[in-house]
Amino acid sequence: MAIFILKRVGLALVTLWILSVIVFFLGQILPGDPARAILGPLAAPNAVHALDQQLGTNRPVLTQYWSWISHFVHGDLGTSYTYDSAVGPLVWKALGHSLELAIVAFVVVVPLGILGGVWAALAAGKRRDRVISILGLSTTVLPELVTGIVLIVVFGIALNVLPFSATWPPGASLPTQLYHLILPAAVLVLILFGYIEQMARAGTIEALNSDYARTAILKGLPRRTVIRRHILRNSLLPTITVIATQVGYLIGGLVVVETLFHYQGIGSLIVNAATAKDFPMLEGGVLVIGIVYMVATLVADIVYTLLNPRIRFQAAE
Amino acid sequence: MASNSIKLDEIRESRSELENHHIDELVAGRISRRDFVRKGAVIGMSSSLLAAVLSACGSANNSSTASSTTAATGTPKQGGTLRLAQQAPTAAINPLTISDAGGLNMLAQTGDFLILDNNQLLTLQPMLATSWTPSNSGSVWTFKLRPNVKFHNGQPFTAKDVVYTFKQLADPKNASNALSTFTSVLTPDGVVMVDPMTVAFHLEAPNGNFPYLVSSDNYNAIIVPDGTDFSKWQSTFIGTGPFTLKSYTQNVGASFVANPNYWAGKPYLDSTSFTFYSSQPPQILALQGGQVDGIVQFTAQGAQSLLNNASSYNLIKLKSANHRELSMRNDQAPFTDARVRQAVALTLNRPEMISALLLGYGQLGNDSPFGPRFPSSDLSIPQRAQDIAKAKSLLAAAGHSGGISAHLTTEQYQEIPALAQVIKADAAKAGINISLTVESQTAYYGKATYGNSDWLDAQMSLVDYGDRGVPNVFLEAPLTSNGSWNAARFKNPTYDSLVKQYVASIDLSTQRQIAGKITNLLLQETPIVIPYFIDGLTATKTNVHGVNPTSISAIYLNKAYVS
Repeated sequence: MAIFILKRVGLALVTLWILSVIVFFLGQILPGDPARAILGPLAAPNAVHALDQQLGTNRPVLTQYWSWISHFVHGDLGTSYTYDSAVGPLVWKALGHSLELAIVAFVVVVPLGILGGVWAALAAGKRRDRVISILGLSTTVLPELVTGIVLIVVFGIALNVLPFSATWPPGASLPTQLYHLILPAAVLVLILFGYIEQMARAGTIEALNSDYARTAILKGLPRRTVIRRHILRNSLLPTITVIATQVGYLIGGLVVVETLFHYQGIGSLIVNAATAKDFPMLEGGVLVIGIVYMVATLVADIVYTLLNPRIRFQAAE
Repeated sequence: MASNSIKLDEIRESRSELENHHIDELVAGRISRRDFVRKGAVIGMSSSLLAAVLSACGSANNSSTASSTTAATGTPKQGGTLRLAQQAPTAAINPLTISDAGGLNMLAQTGDFLILDNNQLLTLQPMLATSWTPSNSGSVWTFKLRPNVKFHNGQPFTAKDVVYTFKQLADPKNASNALSTFTSVLTPDGVVMVDPMTVAFHLEAPNGNFPYLVSSDNYNAIIVPDGTDFSKWQSTFIGTGPFTLKSYTQNVGASFVANPNYWAGKPYLDSTSFTFYSSQPPQILALQGGQVDGIVQFTAQGAQSLLNNASSYNLIKLKSANHRELSMRNDQAPFTDARVRQAVALTLNRPEMISALLLGYGQLGNDSPFGPRFPSSDLSIPQRAQDIAKAKSLLAAAGHSGGISAHLTTEQYQEIPALAQVIKADAAKAGINISLTVESQTAYYGKATYGNSDWLDAQMSLVDYGDRGVPNVFLEAPLTSNGSWNAARFKNPTYDSLVKQYVASIDLSTQRQIAGKITNLLLQETPIVIPYFIDGLTATKTNVHGVNPTSISAIYLNKAYVS
């Protein structure tokens, strides 16, 4: 197990380095330059030149990359071109926001999706299954913008029961923070529910039709025990993989939700950095998401191993 | 009547040649009372002097005096917090480099300018300068400064601070956004301290509207203490303004508290807070849901729900010079022929554009930068209107009876893509077949130099120009032969010399006369089309009073209160 984790960490480091190179060089292809993004399209050319000089963005590309990476390995994320302040605190704060929202959504949607899927599978083809599946799929295909606006108009304005600005007042307690996150988290739950539910449903149906399930039933085990000990464990394997792949989206892909609910997450931070060609900020944001994503996949793999004795025994051999 | 002319003579005795000339213009009826006030403020006549002249000139019908700010009803209430929504600043809050709407409003909260361009009254008002006078040629302007003003750190305000601020802003070696205004107008050496309370600006060329260039229109020009490190300014926000910084968080918001020592009196509000948004829809929702008391500035499109319900809000509408400009490459066929360019302009149904794209919150444009916002505009020139038959006959006369094809490139910004579609549809009615490319703003502007920018190089190009207090930038950069944003490649020596005369002239009737010539020349040549000017819009709850917004999206709150 230790070797397995070490190998994965090593691989992750290489992946992150490649990611940083790709982000940097793709960033060079984007039109515009940082100084002009700051000074605006109508700024005088000599002002743009002076600012490029100050920022160091007129140095050769490789020099810029080298200076960034040599600071990065020392834990220094550099200074944002746009905001003229350290990238670290900005990125960590945004990541904290994103994680908080993602966790709230996750804690609700994962049990809900799995329960829904299993419950639907147990009645496969019947009305209960169809209602759950069709509802789940319909909310999944609706764009975040649509679900978000509907929720805001209904709960925020018409009923006026929930805040639709996810940014809580400074110094708010955890319950207040969670209260502010209800609506945006609800959007995410609506989007992810159908996805997780379908995976759990498919897995359960497959497990139900398997020989071991039939054997368990035939040897007279109570239905409850069959589901808990044999079906759930097997049906959850593909679901866990799916959930892990959604982490990247949940952390970094919520630009629309963040904009709509006025929430400072890392998704909008990265989009802003890319538009402004704020390279240190862009690298910092992307790499942080990369790290979170890799940790999530690693955790998923470990959970997978624990749930699946076959892999566990292979690893031990 | 006799007593009035005696009064007027008394006033005249102590006035300068220029001021007396301006009074003559009013007496002779060449300018209106309203214009007398607006232009009088530019050449530095005080509001009490303007009022004295007006009353000496008769009728009590003085609808426009240069005194108060917003229509504030009832007795102002002391205390409280005003919460506003605004566009998030897109860069560091650095007075030297700020170029965006969100950032410039931050400067205006804690900083003061020499002069305030009051957009609601369309007149200049003294801020840190108490008076200003031009030399007879208009190439040296002398500003008297307000005594007994202190910066937020307790340091007294003097001419040294003004000189430092403008030397930095005008220094071509600095990353100064104000360089686009000061290039070939003012150099650092031109800023001279006369005495501790007087500053003189020696200009590169005579400039009749120079006070606007050091007013709040030039949003970078808040006065900072001598020696300020601009890149560190965002940690203190030190100025002389009505509010001091409490907190500023990138992308989240800012809050300010009243400056008890403000030279114009402590603000009514105890504090203000601004919440930053990256787009407009959540701002509208926040106002409707009562999470903020107002929106600093918004565009009509996308704000239907608010505008349809206008009686539930205080809506402040400002005439602005904010416009869209369609340029045609005068050096490329088929637009080498002025008749073809006129034909394009004649296909457009401008009133319909204003009602559909701006929901009526706009003013007609006559293919010249001289719109209703500027006192010098000659609005007696007939407005160009849609005339498809004439457009077709002009095309035929130019040898294009079978119609023409052209390519229009534009940017993804506000209503512009929709405007491009409307232009395409209107032009098609006269057989002008336009194909469209809509690009992101960064791709469209490119390096903003000839050969490196779709904006400047496209055959037809549709771009946005923000509000300014004077039309100088609109007249020069996009249209003069050596202008740096001449996307139309318009080269016309008569035009160049008219613009030079316009910029140099100080009195209003001369300015208006030249403005008329310029507009007529532009209508004749039609290097560009300006279909409309967009009103500035601010909305607050009905219990908010005394806010003073500008059409460049700054808002002044020292007289604001919540009842």
